[in-house]
Amino acid sequence: MLSPERLALPDYEYLAQRHVLTYMEDAVCQLLENKEDISQYGIARFFTEYFNSVCQGTHILFREFSFIQATPHNRASFLRAFWRCFRTVGKNGDLLTMREYHCLLQLLCPDFPLELTQKAARIVLMDDAVDCLMSFSDFLFAFQIQFYYSEFLESVAAIYQDLLSGKNPNTVIVPTSSSGQHRPRPTLGEASMLEGVEASLFCQCLENLCDRHKYSCPPPALVKEVLSNVQRLTFYGFLVALSKHHGINQALGALPDKGDLMHDPALDEELERLTH
Amino acid sequence: MDVLPVPLPSAKMAAVEKRRLAVAQAANFTGSGRPGVSRAAATAESEEDFLRQVGVTEMLRAALLKVLEARPEEPIAFLAHYFENMGLRSPANGGAGEPPGQLLLQQQRLGRALWHLRLAHHSQRTAFNNNVGVAYECLSASGRKKKPGLDGRTYSELLKRICRDGEAPEEVVAPLLRKIQCRDHEAVPLAVFRAGMLTCFVLLEFVARAGALYRLLEDPGLAVADRHVGQAVLDTLEGALQASDDTAPARYLEASSRLGPDSLALAMDRALVARRPSAPMTREEFLEKAAALFIAKVKPVG
Repeated sequence: MLSPERLALPDYEYLAQRHVLTYMEDAVCQLLENKEDISQYGIARFFTEYFNSVCQGTHILFREFSFIQATPHNRASFLRAFWRCFRTVGKNGDLLTMREYHCLLQLLCPDFPLELTQKAARIVLMDDAVDCLMSFSDFLFAFQIQFYYSEFLESVAAIYQDLLSGKNPNTVIVPTSSSGQHRPRPTLGEASMLEGVEASLFCQCLENLCDRHKYSCPPPALVKEVLSNVQRLTFYGFLVALSKHHGINQALGALPDKGDLMHDPALDEELERLTH
Repeated sequence: MDVLPVPLPSAKMAAVEKRRLAVAQAANFTGSGRPGVSRAAATAESEEDFLRQVGVTEMLRAALLKVLEARPEEPIAFLAHYFENMGLRSPANGGAGEPPGQLLLQQQRLGRALWHLRLAHHSQRTAFNNNVGVAYECLSASGRKKKPGLDGRTYSELLKRICRDGEAPEEVVAPLLRKIQCRDHEAVPLAVFRAGMLTCFVLLEFVARAGALYRLLEDPGLAVADRHVGQAVLDTLEGALQASDDTAPARYLEASSRLGPDSLALAMDRALVARRPSAPMTREEFLEKAAALFIAKVKPVG
């Protein structure tokens, strides 16, 4: 059945929702890069193949980082491709370092930034020795959160810092003649002894964040769930909780549940056919 | 004629290319910026020319307009099918081998017409009518052994195809086909074609909804519905449809009130209370009877 909402949207908004123009522009770009190989009637075929590959999620292979992170669908497709290509690493139970995972990422995306891989590793290792070994599934799910929700995490980090230093990001600063009047409220005595920030306050700030911003956020209800189980939490504690949350993983829709990570019958079948 | 609300991708691309190349060139020619920039501009312009020459600009414009008209739920998949269809339409690859036989051409035409007809939901009346027009033209095009115009046989085949693809049982749609089919060698004018297509698609949706309604009535364990309850629903539906013989808005209100909880629920309740043992009503029977109510209102082709 039709959902009537999309019929009522103004043209530009409808197109923007699915990033239609992003893909059309990229299709033309790719066409120009390959124009020697294409004849007149091959153009329709070229566009068919291009859009089919977008639908299937193979369009991000070996593309530049700026394209891979351009749309939520691209990011999800990249995550999925990474999982399918390298899940055998997990099957053998190998543990790799951050740099080794980065090499794998660069196989799929030559200019993938090291910084992002480092941030993902910090989630797994709780900001500790970044040279430690990590399991495939630990890295994969942390990487998913870091990569898919990059912008969200940056804002969360800023909010966390504010809360740590006692500033409440929700206070509205009213400009007065003497601006020096506003001073950060001193934290409660015992608060400086406790680690991290208060969960409920943190939750409130995140709710405001999700309301205000258009980029992808994890479903607010699930974020609330994560925060409702604890009194206080640290930044990396929060990120780890996000990465291990089944509901968030499912809502994202790129990767299977942790238990099914090694299970990919479609790929197994294809490999069987190739090797026999 | 059609003004696009957004800058066309190829023009925008050429502009982006121009900027990118200009920046790259400027970085290399620190002293003599001029030659670098003009060379970059020339490359970008030649790319835009190339795109226009091979028809990409026009192709994308048409595609974008189609997307905006149809507003599909999955625009990227829609675009993939759109270009695939376009690829099929281009002349057979270079003429190598025999041109496709008459039967294959006929199948291709039917396929294309079907594709056009499915682009927009029948409730999007303007878009739907446009697509019906294109489908009609597609089927009426003259071939090597074919006279121009749509003949009754092709029309009937199309109707059957639509019903089959819409998963409507044959017994359900047979009465409709009998009513609106044309004789094999009769010429089918556009107005008849359009009415027929609309009726067909509306019937399919009607049958789908009736199926959903049946699922509500059926006993989960037995997968059948009580005859009296089923009959009560059908009777109420018939009454509501009769009320809307006139197209005045008041009639719609009357019809919907008959189908509202007050009326319909009461009818079902009465049937349940007065239940006597009887053979249950199967899904097929329910759908056939429901469809019959709809088909009764269809004007037969003169």
